[in-house]
Amino acid sequence: MDLTAIPFFNDLVTLFKPALFNIYFALASIPFGFPFAILLALAKTSSKRWLRWPAEVFIYAFRGSPLFIQFFMFYSLMLSFNQTLWKPLGVSEFVLHPLFIGPIVLVLNTSAYAAEIFYGALRSIPKGEIEAARATGMNTWQEFWVVKWPNMLRLAWPAYTNEVVFLFHATALVYFTLPVIDEQKDLMNKASELFKQDYALFVHFSAAAVYFLIISMLIFWVSSLFYKYLTRHLNTNRSIKLKPNYLR
Amino acid sequence: MIVMLPEWLTPLLSEQTVKLLEYLTNGKHLAWYASFRYTVIAAVAGGLLAVVFGLLGASLKQSKWAPLRWIGNIYTTMVRGIPDVLFLLFFPLAFEQFVEWMWAYQSCTPEERAMATGWPLCDNAQWLLSSTEYLILACFSFGIVYGAFAANVIYGAMRAVPKGQLEAAHAFGFSSSQVFWHFQVRQMWVYALPGLSNVWLSLIKATSLLSLLQIVDIVQWAGRLGAPNYLPMAGLVHPDWRWKYYFVLFLLYILMTYLSERFFAYLQKRASRGMVRAS
Amino acid sequence: MFKKALLSVLLGAALVSGSVLAEDKLRIASEGAYAPYNYLDDNGKLAGFEIDLGNALCEQVKMKCEWVTNAFDAMIPNLIAGNYDAIMAGMSITDERKKTITFSDEYKPVDPSLYVTTKDTKLDFEKLEGKNIGVQSGTIQAKFAEEKWGAKNKIKAFEKPDQSIADLSAGNVDMVLADGEFIRTMIKGAGDALVLAGPEEMIGGGIGIGLRQNDKELLEKLNGGLKALKESGKVDELIKKYFDAGPFYKK
Repeated sequence: MDLTAIPFFNDLVTLFKPALFNIYFALASIPFGFPFAILLALAKTSSKRWLRWPAEVFIYAFRGSPLFIQFFMFYSLMLSFNQTLWKPLGVSEFVLHPLFIGPIVLVLNTSAYAAEIFYGALRSIPKGEIEAARATGMNTWQEFWVVKWPNMLRLAWPAYTNEVVFLFHATALVYFTLPVIDEQKDLMNKASELFKQDYALFVHFSAAAVYFLIISMLIFWVSSLFYKYLTRHLNTNRSIKLKPNYLR
Repeated sequence: MIVMLPEWLTPLLSEQTVKLLEYLTNGKHLAWYASFRYTVIAAVAGGLLAVVFGLLGASLKQSKWAPLRWIGNIYTTMVRGIPDVLFLLFFPLAFEQFVEWMWAYQSCTPEERAMATGWPLCDNAQWLLSSTEYLILACFSFGIVYGAFAANVIYGAMRAVPKGQLEAAHAFGFSSSQVFWHFQVRQMWVYALPGLSNVWLSLIKATSLLSLLQIVDIVQWAGRLGAPNYLPMAGLVHPDWRWKYYFVLFLLYILMTYLSERFFAYLQKRASRGMVRAS
Repeated sequence: MFKKALLSVLLGAALVSGSVLAEDKLRIASEGAYAPYNYLDDNGKLAGFEIDLGNALCEQVKMKCEWVTNAFDAMIPNLIAGNYDAIMAGMSITDERKKTITFSDEYKPVDPSLYVTTKDTKLDFEKLEGKNIGVQSGTIQAKFAEEKWGAKNKIKAFEKPDQSIADLSAGNVDMVLADGEFIRTMIKGAGDALVLAGPEEMIGGGIGIGLRQNDKELLEKLNGGLKALKESGKVDELIKKYFDAGPFYKK
């Protein structure tokens, strides 16, 4: 059977390159979003007000407003600094490129959500373990690395996995808000473009959906392997099921 | 320029402030403020529909008949693998095409249908949509997508209703459907509220996507008003002010989130009256 | 059961709205961001050359104009999908577009597209390389720029024309290629901040009303109306008012 005769398979081929853009946006955001989120979470648990307060405001603001508007706002804000800042520094081309500014906004957004997850995890670390760390004379740094960090990671991992999937889905909004350069188009952008050519709604949108679905499942799968590793000492069967959470 | 300042106030304000107030109340800006109604309508109607679809999805999920259960499970899990924006764009278009396709079988000749390469299949099967209909379709889109999220919440909440209460109801001779509607569903709300609150917060944020559904909403207007204007005919000449307008929306959405949280906290307090607390 | 009820309500709404599709209503799409062709005035209402012309045309052919604002690159799909009956949005008549829609006679003669840049940008159009060229997505200029400059330069496509000008003013693109009248209006308004650059590009035909291919009756009606308006000097009068050019059509 000739697969190229089936529009759906043609679409899967056409949409392969656009899918890479979505993957890029997610992959570029995670390495920055993850540590930033942990810092925010630590700041939010801090007893010092000047640390806690900005973290709280940041987290509330970026969780409380739509990513769609954050994209628009950031792009136009960065654009307004172009003549005074980016141009003289010679980074204009780079800073305003969707492949750069897209991940920046995604990092701000996802780290706010992830910080709230890590914050919750930090708060549910058994008090006894922290007391034990202090009793053995560990300093704050040791206390974090030996007690808080492993506990937090394990407690937060299922929820953080969800956040990564949501982040991946959020990449669909990038090219609805930022300029499109040459043929740099993502899944939604390309699928809508194909739709405008022949109105075959089901074919194009389901092909895009298939990509989102497969990659989301991949994320869950890889993450569950890591979760198994994180919980290997617990000797329970809780590691088997990484339950998808339904809300961001 | 229809600002109506009380006369005693005008001398107290600087000329600049008056100019600013005039600018902020010109027709364009009033249209911007008025377009907020679309956001509110979409959020409220979408939210109510989400509860309806959520109840439907949850009862499908706990149906005794396996195929119905499968439908319920597919409905509630698909939103987890596919972005909401894809569904939001898909449903209105799919509905429009579905209607036109049905009309085509009534009003197109078979030859026309066979000849058609694009869409619609023939002239008579042309559904002309205005912004009202787009808004209705958008509400349903929100309802369907966030209904799937709500279904998960409601399903969980239904199972959280203590079994003993339902058994007691059965023992009193209520029928299965009575037990379901008058006990399980009625008791479920208090468990569902925190989850539904989260669904609502997500839904509010999703209303910013209305402009993608052909509706001239607050986001669309903010872009228009903020765009640089060089033409005196088209109002005040100004450079690119878009980020200021988007910043206002940013704050507006944070405010909406805050007010919603307060409202749900109040609801939760009311709904938990008479509940026996574990602590 | 419930779903069915909802569906029938919506279907009912659809049927009602379909049946009130009276002959005498003409729904025209425009963009509202392409001065002086179409823009939003201080009251937030559509205004400009095409709006005045469209209203005059409706009066001529005894129809009722209803204006819809929509994004430019969504206009042809929406026209075909039947969300409105006509497009008046500075849309050039091209063979490419004629594959999917049809056009009335032109109401504004062909006008070369122009490049605009900021006053301190130096551009060598003989060997243009590594430049950022701003265009509006879905326009003939976007396609043209891609073909002519795409190999060695970056083409940035914006959804709205005013976004491309905003990015030009902020220096994020080196130049913008757009319709001549639009560019001239921007330059006039911007004082000396924006300047013309490079060659004039003769692309596309004149500007006409975009219509569905099967709306033959409407096409004839509007062409008749346009002819009358051209003969009466109304079109020239509006061109004079908005573009300070002409007369083109009055014998």
